Amino acid sequence: MAQRSTQRALSWYLQRITGVFLLVFALGHYLMVHWTESSGHTFDATVARLQNPIYVFLYLGFVLLGFYHGLQGIWNIIRDFKLPKAVYTLSAIVLFLLGAYFVYLGFDTVLSVESWMNKP
Amino acid sequence: MAYQQKGSSVSRWFFNLRSYKPHAGEWAWLLHRITGIGLTVYLFLHISTLRTLTQGEAAYNATAATFLSPIFKFFEWALFSLVVFHSFNGLRIVLVDFAGASRYHKIMLRAIYAISLLLMIFMAYLIFGNPFEVSELDSLTLWQWVQQLVG
Repeated sequence: MAQRSTQRALSWYLQRITGVFLLVFALGHYLMVHWTESSGHTFDATVARLQNPIYVFLYLGFVLLGFYHGLQGIWNIIRDFKLPKAVYTLSAIVLFLLGAYFVYLGFDTVLSVESWMNKP
Repeated sequence: MAYQQKGSSVSRWFFNLRSYKPHAGEWAWLLHRITGIGLTVYLFLHISTLRTLTQGEAAYNATAATFLSPIFKFFEWALFSLVVFHSFNGLRIVLVDFAGASRYHKIMLRAIYAISLLLMIFMAYLIFGNPFEVSELDSLTLWQWVQQLVG
C-alpha cells in the first residue's frame, strides 16, 4: 500500500514536472518551427531541420515527454472511474504498448533521417 | 454508513458532474481533462503523419497537401486553442501546487480565460481572415505575419 502511494506521488510530481518541460518545448517548437525564417513544412525544410542537433533534441524531447504526459493524464482519468480490476490492467497495458510503439515511431523517424532523406 | 450511489461508474460520474455546484475550479478541472485528451489524440495523429517522411518526398507531400483544406485550417485553430488553455491552466496548477499560489487561483483562472480567448480570436483572424492574402498557411511564418501586422 505504502509502495503504491509512493508510486502515485512520484507520478503526480512527474506529471507536473513534465508539464513544465513541455511548456518549454512547446515554446521552443513554436519559436523554431513556426516563427523563424527557416521554418516551413515541406519535405526539404524538414530534412534541413533534422540536420541540426538542437532541432533533433527538441523533437525527441517533445515525443518522449508528450507521450508520457499525455498517457499518464489519460491513465489518471481512467483511475477516476470505479472499474473492474481487469479493465484497469488492460487499460494500463494498452496505454503502455501504444505509447512505447509511437515513441519508437517518432524516434525512428527523427534518427533515421539519413536513410530516407534522398527518397523521391 | 457512507451514502452510495446506484448505477454504473459512468452514470455516477455524470450524476456527480451534474449535481455539483459549478464553480471556477470544477470547470477548469473538466476543461483541462478534455483539452488533455484532445492533445493526446492529436499527438498520435501527428506522429502518424510525420511517419510518412520515411516513405520519401512524394508520399510526404501528398499527405501534407491534405492539410491545406479549409477543414484542416479549423483543426489547426482548434489545436492552438487546446494548447493555449491546457498550457496556461497547467502552469496555474503548478503555481498552486508548488508556489503557494492557491489564494490567487481564481483570479489566475479568470486571467487565463481572458488571455486564451483573446489569443484564440487573434489566431482565428490570422488563419481564417488571411489578412496578408497568402495562398497557404506555411508560405508565411507566424513571425512574418506578426511583423507585417505590426509594420
